[in-house]
This record gives sequence, structure tokens and C-alpha cells, in this order.
Amino acid sequence: MAFFKKKTAKDESYYLASQWVLMWRKLQKHKLAQFSLSLLLVLYLGALFADFIAPYGLEEFSSLYKNTAPTKIYWEDENGDFSRPYVYKLKKVNDKKTWSVIITEDTSEKYYIDLFVEGGEYKLLGLIPSNLHLYGLVNEAGEVDRSVRVNIFGADSTGACIFSRILFGARVSLTIPFVSAAISFVLGILLGGISGYFGGMVDNIIQRIIEVLSAIPSIPLWMALSAAIPPGISVSAMYLYITIILSFIGWTGLARVVRGKFIALRKEDFVMAAKLAGVSDFKIIIKHLVPGFLSYLIVNLTLGIPGSILGETSMSYLGLGMKAPATSWGVLLKETEDLVSVAQCPWKMIPLVFVIITVLAYNFLGDGLRDAADPYK
Amino acid sequence: MEKTNDVILSIKDLKVNIRIDEGTLTAVRGVDFDIRRGETLGLVGESGCGKSLTSKAILGINDKKCKAEGEINFDADDLGWVNLLSLNPRGKEIRSVRGKQISMIFQEPMVAFSPMYTIGNQINEATLLHITKDKKKAKEISLGVMKKVGIANAEKRYDQYPHEFSGGMLQRALIAMALVCNPKLLIADEPTTALDVTIQAQILELMKELQKDFGMSILFITHDLGTVARMCDRVAVMYLGRIVETAPATEIYKNPQHPYTQGLIGSVHKIGTKAQERLFSIEGTVPLALNLPAGCGFYERCHRRIEGVCNVYDPQLVDVGGGHQIACFACTGCPNAGKEENA
Amino acid sequence: MSKGDQILDIQHVHMRFASKGLVVKAVTDVSFPVMEGETIGIVGESGCGKTTLGRCIVRAYEPSEGKVMYTAADGQTIDFLQIDKATMKKYRKEIQMIFQDPYSSLDPRMTVYDIIKEPLVANFPKMPKKEIERRVMEIAEKVGLNTTYLKRYPHAFSGGQRQRIGIARALVISPRVIVCDEAVSALDVSIQAQVINLLHDLQKELGLTYLFISHDLSVVEYISDKVGVMYLGKMVEFAETRSLFSHPMHPYTESLLSAVPVADPTVKSERIPLEGEIPNPANPPSGCHFHTRCRFCTEKCKREVPEYQELEPGHYVACHRAQELTLRGFTYE
Repeated sequence: MAFFKKKTAKDESYYLASQWVLMWRKLQKHKLAQFSLSLLLVLYLGALFADFIAPYGLEEFSSLYKNTAPTKIYWEDENGDFSRPYVYKLKKVNDKKTWSVIITEDTSEKYYIDLFVEGGEYKLLGLIPSNLHLYGLVNEAGEVDRSVRVNIFGADSTGACIFSRILFGARVSLTIPFVSAAISFVLGILLGGISGYFGGMVDNIIQRIIEVLSAIPSIPLWMALSAAIPPGISVSAMYLYITIILSFIGWTGLARVVRGKFIALRKEDFVMAAKLAGVSDFKIIIKHLVPGFLSYLIVNLTLGIPGSILGETSMSYLGLGMKAPATSWGVLLKETEDLVSVAQCPWKMIPLVFVIITVLAYNFLGDGLRDAADPYK
Repeated sequence: MEKTNDVILSIKDLKVNIRIDEGTLTAVRGVDFDIRRGETLGLVGESGCGKSLTSKAILGINDKKCKAEGEINFDADDLGWVNLLSLNPRGKEIRSVRGKQISMIFQEPMVAFSPMYTIGNQINEATLLHITKDKKKAKEISLGVMKKVGIANAEKRYDQYPHEFSGGMLQRALIAMALVCNPKLLIADEPTTALDVTIQAQILELMKELQKDFGMSILFITHDLGTVARMCDRVAVMYLGRIVETAPATEIYKNPQHPYTQGLIGSVHKIGTKAQERLFSIEGTVPLALNLPAGCGFYERCHRRIEGVCNVYDPQLVDVGGGHQIACFACTGCPNAGKEENA
Repeated sequence: MSKGDQILDIQHVHMRFASKGLVVKAVTDVSFPVMEGETIGIVGESGCGKTTLGRCIVRAYEPSEGKVMYTAADGQTIDFLQIDKATMKKYRKEIQMIFQDPYSSLDPRMTVYDIIKEPLVANFPKMPKKEIERRVMEIAEKVGLNTTYLKRYPHAFSGGQRQRIGIARALVISPRVIVCDEAVSALDVSIQAQVINLLHDLQKELGLTYLFISHDLSVVEYISDKVGVMYLGKMVEFAETRSLFSHPMHPYTESLLSAVPVADPTVKSERIPLEGEIPNPANPPSGCHFHTRCRFCTEKCKREVPEYQELEPGHYVACHRAQELTLRGFTYE
């Protein structure tokens, strides 16, 4: 036919591309979002394989290493030649003048950093039992000595490795937003959809509820809600409660987006065409309206995740959320509450860097997604 | 081209490239035309033919992604015969041309005005910028122009906001704003497309009257052949970034030569003529100006195409007398035929 | 039922919208008959209510008053606006619509095949897959779409091709009446001609009845058998195309015709001045709505609403002075 010219293979794949493929292509042009996406992937993989990557488990702490700075790693031997990286173990020494106990390096023996070293037992992904860790220390004879530690980000007040705790904390801090987003997602679609579809009185009531909920300052609301959490519950129950508290606030924004999109899409000609063709209301919603705003919803969720991450972090920091020994980034930051500990142990601020990087990455990704959300414009 | 007294704008081999994701799209592919003093040139073509890009290139107001090459020579008041493309696009010189000596009216008058300021305020802006610094005098001038474009109750209207105007009135206000500095050239980009037929007729008549009063030239850009017939002295038909035919208006309707022009005129039904069984229609659609094959851009849709000529050589505008130029081998014969034999 | 029988009878349709405390009468008391197989053109300027009227007829809007009597294929005559849901399911598919905007009228998230298939699936839920495929292919071929490209998404198609997809979707359930709401207005001239020809061919082949709503008088004149002219929600004139264009009987029609730009510079058309702008439909003038812009206006026109009556066989006008005036139209060859 004369109407259709021969197209190259590249064109053809574009013509056959669905909304999601088009979105993905547009997202790939957003370099910052691409970079953020890979960064987030690394963070999540780190959380997933925390048992393996972290040299020490949550229960492994050593009073000798309390509040110690990041372990110094040496690359040169005594002659100044390059050597495989090694560390020294720590020892307590009494200061002859002040009689106070100070901790210094014991340079008598080298402990080499080695890959795939045996350590604490764990189950990889909860399935495969193993005791191999990504890195660890071996002495000159090649044997594992678990009393000597390498804390690349230093140690906290219990003497636990901060790097390990960041990884384990990521499991909570990075997944809570997801779970709460999922709950917000369901609530948002449901209530926003009802609001947009039925309109009138129902719409009015739901909108007013949203306004009231979003008018309450979040910290007092958290306090009120966490007061309702029964004391002495398990870590996993706590986790559940926190997600519910966070999603309780998160859904309002989503419901608004859904409602707005719903109303806008209902006016599109293709919806009227479907109606005139005799397609039922339910099918119109499922086939035309929901796919139409799904991409916007994902954008909004992505942009909402940093809020949840910060929410969890602040709750835990305020002591309303996770409590030690459970670990989250907020719990880790709790150690930096007083100025003295920040001044003396600045490495305790490292978890904050992770929070900032994650939040920024989500924001950049959300930004890219927003540009890609409607590939037809 | 040598400057003659008559010509106020001469475009030579204008190309506009647009950077898009897939590469560089040459949307205007070498356009030449002149506009004489006091004449109306109609630039006709379908969407995507590059007519709007051409007009925007004259004012240098194209998107950042667009790059114009070639020559746009304009008889500017204080600069003399100057190539507008050689001026700094943000410089003082181009600004003395833009808005003052060349002004433009747009398709959507609603978008052309800011909703935040009164109409009078916005017309005054141009007056204050180019004519006088005296606010009182400027208002007088603005009011005068508003009256001239047929805005009744100009004093009252002066203080009204755009949303208080109807579409037709806004278009009048837009024309007033364009004319306030008494430009030499008015570029009208589909000025009546968004309006109703009766309002459209009013605006066209107004533009004609004003042209007589102000003595300006008009570059009239449209896709509507009926409007062109009413307005223009000369017509240039554009297709795929090229001018394919240019002739005096009467000639082009009486004696269209290029197959595209013929198709364009034939596909519009004339009321009062006996209805044919089918409207004449050009097959196919306009191709994307990306990686165009060699030869004539209309080749794929042309019913008079000559294989081995039209898809090999690029047709140039050939004068056939009476100011009628055609870029078509089927109409003017193949100038390369001799060369081919030699080779 | 044969060609030429009455298929639709639009009787006194009113449509009122309430907005911001005002009642806007978008359509006021419009009546006209439609015969099977013919094309009725509805013309008028923006805001005259022509689109609303079209949507009332397909029952996309629920008109405030009036009847749309539809004589179905089975010979039954029903009021399309009153029927219950079950009957609606049966007749809904017989009156379809083609939209103006070829971009917003196709769901960008569905393949062309799915778009065309949708009405079939909705109306014949038990139809086997093979049969659906056969029908979709058949209709796609009929409207000039390359069937190998049906798996593509709408963004792969240009405006004219998209309009073909919209036509295929409307036709796939074999409707008898099609309301074309500015169906070619958004298209380029050369593409317009393609689509008009297609509509013409389909009408001949399938015996369709068209309600062709447009602001473009030359297109309407070309395609329509009868034309209705609307002004501020009212039908001011309705007649056979030739009759209306050659001797209009309403001053508004006359002005409208004279404003049509003719693509021929040798024709020095004399425009009949129609000054001023269309009044606000929320607050229309008293008496005859057109009196504020009419050059023949009398005191009576300002007071009394003119009756819409048949002055010549098949020529309906709503004007107090229609009989005494001689108005100018187009001269036919």
C-alpha cells in the first residue's frame, strides 16, 4: 500500500512499543535518573546480601573496639614496599602519665585482609547456610582470628562494625518505604478511584478527610500512633506497625493524583468512544483509566519513597520506631544524638551519608520518571 | 541577490535543522523567496512542511533545538541591507528589527497575551520600547491603533484583561500590538485558523485595509487555500521544507503546474461547482524529513513521477515566465538529461 | 426497510447545562428528520451547540427534553433517549460516532487491533476469537489500513491514518447511523480529501446514514444531502443542500455563506457584513437570538421568538421576515 512506507527495523520496534517500553526508552535518556537507578540497585543488592557482604553479624561486637575509629589499613610493609592490605590488632595500654586506658595498635602481628573468609554462620537469602563473608582477616599463617576486627567505617558504642550495621539497617530502612508504598498504593487507588468515579458527596467526604489528614503535622501524628503500639513486641511486628503508620499518611497524596487523573481521563474521547461502543463502566476503568494513570502513580510513589525513608529514620531517631538491637539507619543515627559523640566519633555520621544518597537517588529517579511518565506528549 | 529598491526581504537558501533524539532533522531544506514592498506573499503548505519554522527563522525566535543556516536579508532602517542570521540573536540590532520593523501575529491569540496584564498594558509595551518613552504619548498611540483595528470602545477596552475579550477581538488586539510600531513586514502565522468563518472574514478584511493604510508587506502563512486566494498577491507552495511552486495568486489557481499544488487545489471542493463523484486526493502522507532519499521530496506521492529522474536529481525552481516558478522535472523537463548523455 | 425511509426523527431536543449557577441552553428545541442512507450536515460557528446536539443524539449526554425516535433495523421504532438498559444494549451499537481529534480519540496504550476489537468484544462477548479476527481484518482493509500493522500502537500512525482507525472502530459493529463530529477538521487538506472519499465510499457500500457536524461549509456542501444551520443552540434553517446554498432564507445563513473563503482569487466574493461577535450562550438575546447581528432586524424580532416552520417543501426556517427577504447564496453551474 502506498500509505505505508518501508521502515527500518528500528522504526518498527518503536511502533510496536507499548507504553512501558516507551517510558523505559525515555528514562534511558535521563542520565542522572539512570545513574540513580544503578546506585539504588547497588544499595538494594547490598541489603539483600548483607549477611555475606558484612564481615560481622548483628550480635558480633567486641568491647575492645567500642567507639573506635575506622581501622587503619596498611598497603606498605616496613620497607615501604607494596604489600597486600593488612591491619594491626588493638591493645589496651595504660598511659603512664594519666593512668587512663588508651587503645593503640599492636604492631607485633599483621592481619591480612582476605576475600571470602570464614566468619559467623548465616543463611544466605534465608535459604543457603554459609559462613563465608566477602572479606575478613587472616593472620600470617592464614588462619582466621575472630578477635581481631576490621571496621572500615569504625565502630559504635557497643563495639559493632558500623559498616555491617548499615547493611543490616538498610534491610529495614530501604524496604519499609516499599511496603508502606504498597499499602498507600492500594488505599490511594481505591479511595482516589471512588472519589473520582462517583464524584459528588462521596468525593467531597473523601477529599475533606484527605485535607484533615494532611493538615496534621507528621511528628505529633507519629507520636500519637506509636503510642498505640503495644510495648515489648517483636522486631517484625514493630516493622509492620511502622509501615502502617507511614502509609497512613502516604496514601492521601496518591489518592489525589488518582482522582485528578481519573477525572481528566474520563473526559478523553477514547473513553467516550468505548462508552458508545457499549463497553461496561467496569471494563472502561480497568482497560482505559487504570493503565492511563498507572504511570503517574508510579512516579508519585517513587517521589514519595524518600519521604517514607526519612519518616522511618526520623521515627527511629526519635525513639518512636525501631529500637536497638534491631537496626535501621534511624537507630544508627540515634548514636549521634549528643554533640560530644559527634565531635569525638565523626564516623558515626556515615549512616547519614547513606540516607542522603538514597533520598537523592530516589528524587532523581522520580524526576526522570516524571519526564517519561507520559510518552505520548 | 542584488538588492533592488522593491525588495524588503530576501531569503536565500534557508535551512533549518532541528536536533531530535534520532538525529538531525532538516525541516527547512533550502528555501528562497523575496518579499516586495507592500505585497502579500502567501506561504502555503500542510502541517510539518516547515512554513512556520521559516517565519520564525526570520525573527530568530526558533527553539533552541533549531539551527538556521543561509541568508535572510532584510532592508532594515538603520542597518541597511543586512543578513539577519549574521546578527547576534540576543543582540541590540536584532531587537531593533524584531517587533519594530518586523512583527508577527500568531494563530492562538489567547496564548499570545499574558493573562496577568491588561490589553492596553501589553500593547503599550511595544510602544514604550520602540517609539516613545513618554507614557502619556504611548497610551495615545496605542489607543489610536486599537481604534484603527476596529476595537470599539477602545478607552474602556484598554483597561480590560484578555479573558474579557472574545477570540476575534483578541486577534484584533494582537494585530494592534503588531502594528503599533508601523512595521515594514508583518508575519501572520495562521492568523485566522482558530477563528470562526464569519470572524475570519472580518479579520482578513481588516488586514487588507490596514495594509493599504500602513503600506506594509505581509508574509501570510496558512494551510487554507481559500484564505490565500482572498489575501495574497503571490503564493509560494511549500512541501517538505522546500518551495515547490511560486506564482502570482491568480496564476496559481488558474494554472497550477506542480502535481502537489494541483492536488492541493483539487482536494478542496468549491461550493457551487458540480460535485464530482470523488474529491481529488493526494495519496499517502508527508514523510518525516529525516534521512530523506535523494531526489524530489514529493516523489513517493506523485502521480507524474519519472523514475530514474525524479528520484535521482533534486528539482530546483525554474522560471516559466510571468513570475511563475516550478520545481518539478515533469513540468519543466529534466535539465540533467543532457549531462546524463555526456556521462 | 429500504433506503429513503425515515431512520431518525429528532424531536424538540433541549440540552441545558448548569454551570456556576447559570443555566446554559446549549441546544434549544431542535427538530429534524433523517432518512436512511442520507447525509445530514450540521453547520454553525463555535458555541452554536452542534457538537452537543451530536452527543445528545448518540446519547453521550442525556438531553433535558425531547425525543430521538429511531427506527431500528428490525422495523421497531423506539425513543433512543428513553429505552432501558437491556434494550439499549441491543440498539446502542447501531448509532456510532467518529471524533474530531484523531489523537485523543484512540487510547495510546492499546494496539490498533485491540482498539478496533473492543466494540466487538463488548457487544458480542461470546464471539469466537477467529471470528473477531476475521471481522477486524475485514474492516481494517475496508478503511484502507494495512492489516500487517495492526499490532502497532497508535503513536506509529499519522493523523489521517488514526482517523481511519477511528472509523474502523465505529464500523466494526455494523452501525446504521454515524455521527461524524468534525471528523476531518483536524486533518491536512490533502488528507481531508482522502478521508472524505473514504466516508463516501463506505456510505455507498454499507448504506450508512451520516450526521456530519462541521464548521467547514465547503466540506458540508460536498458531502451532505441536507444541511441544518445552527446559531446559539437553535436550528435556524434546514433544507436540501442545493436549496440552502443557492437560496438561503435566513439572514444568518446568508452571512455565513458569504464568509466562506473560496479558493479562487478571481471570484470577488462580496461579504455580507456580519458585525459583532456571537453573544454569550448563557445569556442569549431576547426574541430572535440573531437580532443583535441581523441587518434586517425589526422591533418584532427583538420581542418575539420566530417560529421554526416549513416555508417551502423541505425548507425549514426560523425567521419572522423569511418570506419577504430575497437573500443571496451561491450560484450553481
